Amino acid sequence: MAELLSHVTSVSSRLRSVDKISDDRYDCQLRDLVTYIKQSDKNFDSEYLLNNLNPSHHTLSYLLMLNFKIKYLQNKRRTVLPEELKPGNDLWVKAVLFFRTFDPIQVRYAGGEWRQLIEIIGQAAEATAKPFLAVQVIRDAMLRLDPSSGILTSVHIIFLRLSLLSRSYSYALPVIGKPVIWFPTGSVQAYKKYIEQPLCSELVSMDSLLSDSFGFSAKLTYRDHTQYFLYGAMVYMALKEWDKSLHWLSIVISSPVNDSVSKIMVEAYKKWVLVSLLGHGKLVTAPKIISSHVLKVFQSLAKPYLSLSEAFERNDLQRLRLEADVGQSIWRHDNNEGLVSQLFHAHKSFLFLKLGRTFSALTAADVAQQAFTPLDSSSKIEEFVAALVMSGSLRATLVHLHGRGNGTMLHFSRLPEPYITRERCMRTQLAKEGRALEIITNGADQCSNELMMGNENLQLVSKNQKWPDTLGKDGCNIIGEADGGGYEIDEDIMGDNSK
Amino acid sequence: MDLPPLSQQQLAAIVTSASTPAELYRTLSDYEAEACLLSSQDSNQAELLSLYYSTFFFSHLLTDQIYEARISTKRMPQGLLQHDPSLQNCLNLLRAVWQRKYEQVYQVLRELPWSDPLKPIVQSYEAYFQEKTLKEISKAYEAIRPAAAATYLGLDPVTAAQADSTTVQKLTAYGWTWDQETGLLHPKPVVEDPQKDDRLYNELSEVMALIGNRRS
Repeated sequence: MAELLSHVTSVSSRLRSVDKISDDRYDCQLRDLVTYIKQSDKNFDSEYLLNNLNPSHHTLSYLLMLNFKIKYLQNKRRTVLPEELKPGNDLWVKAVLFFRTFDPIQVRYAGGEWRQLIEIIGQAAEATAKPFLAVQVIRDAMLRLDPSSGILTSVHIIFLRLSLLSRSYSYALPVIGKPVIWFPTGSVQAYKKYIEQPLCSELVSMDSLLSDSFGFSAKLTYRDHTQYFLYGAMVYMALKEWDKSLHWLSIVISSPVNDSVSKIMVEAYKKWVLVSLLGHGKLVTAPKIISSHVLKVFQSLAKPYLSLSEAFERNDLQRLRLEADVGQSIWRHDNNEGLVSQLFHAHKSFLFLKLGRTFSALTAADVAQQAFTPLDSSSKIEEFVAALVMSGSLRATLVHLHGRGNGTMLHFSRLPEPYITRERCMRTQLAKEGRALEIITNGADQCSNELMMGNENLQLVSKNQKWPDTLGKDGCNIIGEADGGGYEIDEDIMGDNSK
Repeated sequence: MDLPPLSQQQLAAIVTSASTPAELYRTLSDYEAEACLLSSQDSNQAELLSLYYSTFFFSHLLTDQIYEARISTKRMPQGLLQHDPSLQNCLNLLRAVWQRKYEQVYQVLRELPWSDPLKPIVQSYEAYFQEKTLKEISKAYEAIRPAAAATYLGLDPVTAAQADSTTVQKLTAYGWTWDQETGLLHPKPVVEDPQKDDRLYNELSEVMALIGNRRS
């Protein structure tokens, strides 16, 4: 056993940095280690090995041993979830320790095992009705593997599902707050075989490990894609971040369709109607990318929601109540009861915003006349208005009047917000957009390279090279166009002549 | 990396050593998984859980995360939540803060029985809530009756209604002005310190550099 231990500990991330082992040699060592463990006699004492391995230095050995141990127990107990894997028990603790400390370089050699361990941790937490326990672990593991979290994987979907189940919405934000710009692909581009870096090289970015063959993600389907964005929108709904939720829902409802729309898209459209009322007080315009026939399908399948929104937009409180009551079973069936119940408060709030566009000042009594029922007491009205003003939802000020009993005047403000507030908001927004821009430009550059060097383009270039008259009538070469050279002239024409 | 085990002493140490409410919230968040593994059926663990979840609840309020505070009550062991006096107090407080019932907020904080280990954080929250409310009414009201201001700030509204000099002095100490003729206070908006976002300037410079790179 000691000999086996010395073999599986011979490859260590710590030793690599001390001995300054080259990428190529380290790559060979890691590949040999995987082969050695997978082909070795399975009678070893994995318990002893796991207790003597350091998951941060011997990540690969630890992960493979842990998976081996789990499979062994699954076969022995004839259950997918042996007792040892349940939260708090031995293997659970070892898996959590692994996910908190693993070396993201070594783990590249066992992507499939890494994902299987995540999946089983999620199942164990869910089976014991403690999905929260897996949320933190999976989130930390995802961000450890890929801090940009810009690649949609099947683990993302598992993670968001568990976040929703455990109501740990804010724990999901570090993952869903990062833009997804890549999707795993089924094949590797041919050119990569020629310029391939060793897998352990720092130069290999996570998006190079996108291919299904690395195993970090199960094969994603159309359904997974829409489901992820629907889940993300639901997280934002729970946190009442309506604009973000609308954005995520708009991705779902504008997903490409063949003949018919999916059930997930219809569910997303129903939520999109409610969220747009809650966030904007009206049904916002649907993304233009949605074709008219798809929109008609949505509208015909979400009729009760559209009736509700019509009553909301017409400020018809009685009809709104009636529609909400009549459709109760529908909202319950669609799991939208919570959103519908919030419409009444939102309706009142948006009424005030509308009053502010018509009047510059109103007394509490006038407000009751305009927005509330006359039966509402002025103190109740002031309480509601003060809450809106103090929370920053309504830009107005309140003035208690002298000598008129308990009169209160509401002044709607038309002045812009103070300079400092505006500047700070603007700066925050710019910095946020800047970060997104940086990610997108890097992604676009990479995408452009991929297209240029991609199989299809290389085939086209090679086909054209076979013909002697590759040069077009204008003398422009396709290869030149492909690398962007064909567009240089245009850029010069559009350049600044004053230089 | 490894956290010391969750215990009443450790919780007290976390509360006293956290330099900001955000740090307190972050540290307590890291303990939620460990708390999730404890059993509320065991009386010793139930006591620790009650203290942990109550402190964690206050850390949400101190960082102004009302929605999250509400959601955190759904993640607590529901049996414990229904029967534990401290967690019941937290629920009452949440209801009052959510509905902006100012009188009730102060009543819950001052009059309900809080356990000794929780008293320091309850007092911190009272001070925080009072200061936050002061900023909000300073922005929202151009003129306000002393009794109304007293209600918002947890002072005695009856004496304030009689323009009691102590109450008026307390409020004018915030820079408000007192108009004796009209019997109204004129709040002075509290301007937030703008010198906190150097990071934003740096990030903006990076954005500009990025745009510059794309043009060249």
